[in-house]
Amino acid sequence: MSEIPEELDLIAAEFALGTLEGADKARAEALEAADPAFRVALAGWRAKFAALDETAIPLTPPPQLWERIEAGVAEAAPAKTPAGRHNPPSGWIAQVWASLSFWRPLGLAGALASLMLALALSAALNRGPIAPVYVAVLNTGDGRAAAVVNAFADGTVELIPLERIDVPLGRIIEVWTLQTRERGPVSIGRMDQARRMKLDLKDLSRPDANHLFELTLEPAGGSPTGKPTGPILMKGLTARSI
Amino acid sequence: MSLLTTRYETLEAALRACAGGDRLALRALYEQEAAQMLGVAIRMLKRRALAEEVLQDAFLAIWNNAGRYQSGNARGWMYTILRNRALNVLRGEARTELIEDFEQFDQPSADETPEDIMSRLSDESALKRCLKLLDAARQKIVVLAYTEGLSHGEIAAKLGVPLGTIKSWLRRSLLSLKACMG
Repeated sequence: MSEIPEELDLIAAEFALGTLEGADKARAEALEAADPAFRVALAGWRAKFAALDETAIPLTPPPQLWERIEAGVAEAAPAKTPAGRHNPPSGWIAQVWASLSFWRPLGLAGALASLMLALALSAALNRGPIAPVYVAVLNTGDGRAAAVVNAFADGTVELIPLERIDVPLGRIIEVWTLQTRERGPVSIGRMDQARRMKLDLKDLSRPDANHLFELTLEPAGGSPTGKPTGPILMKGLTARSI
Repeated sequence: MSLLTTRYETLEAALRACAGGDRLALRALYEQEAAQMLGVAIRMLKRRALAEEVLQDAFLAIWNNAGRYQSGNARGWMYTILRNRALNVLRGEARTELIEDFEQFDQPSADETPEDIMSRLSDESALKRCLKLLDAARQKIVVLAYTEGLSHGEIAAKLGVPLGTIKSWLRRSLLSLKACMG
């Protein structure tokens, strides 16, 4: 497929993988700068391995990190003025609809509409006017919003799926949350198909901002190790609602 | 909804806005990707403080080089900048400091085995399908190399296999991946 010799293609592969050192790495960097065909091969290899980046467990940086970046940016480009902020839309519904121009071409308007409906229904049907304190939108690997987790002030936490999940025979869906890296992911629910459920956080703390919720496919009966072993169906971090 | 989706719609558009000097666009990229990127960096560098430093450098590099982004996978472009910086730290002079520094290592990445990582790959991913065609030891080499940023020598030491063997296994694994993934 590639037009470059196998030897160069393997250098591109190892450069993308990250195993090159010293003179080999310097040669790869020179090839990247000078040879368009090598760049094409390298881009192909980087794209092949990129799925592994998705397997890392997200970790929210401390607020000071952004402040340091902002300070660095100001130093690097003092002449440039940041574009002014638009007037903030009034409330979250306006914000959601404002983003539809992005979602519509991807065919996600429906998913988004169901997300809003789910949020509205869960608030209206079960709890009158009470809104969740924390919300996590769980996205699939290709970026579809596939479920919402709502955490309420009284400590209840619920999962609302937004789409069906194909569960192979002999497998189940297991729900996990990760509150601290020390403790790692903890199982908080299992189901045979996507359905609404209350999540039991047992001895864990109540959800706070940036807790991870994740659904994986596991063998019937649940993960044999007590930690996620199957592929991630969707995941997302909690954010405080306005 | 996020700053990215409401204001810029895509990572590509936000990157182009960065090239034009729009700092809010960098904030949008950061809100969207920083947590996942920090996860990638900590898996390679093991230590939180170092990973945060590399993430900070990466975002400054994204800002300074946004004008060089041409087209294609904007997310991949950002992660390449991050990974290259992390690899430079792992391979560079910082290594001596790493050993002398007694700061506590983050535990979970130490617990995470290549098998765990394989299982976290989506079942639809071509990489998973093609890695599974390799035997377990060869799968492990590819996954360890990429996710932990290990060199040939470090993989050899970790698996207790001679360096020459690692090199030839890796070579054949990459050829097999290429044949499988195209």
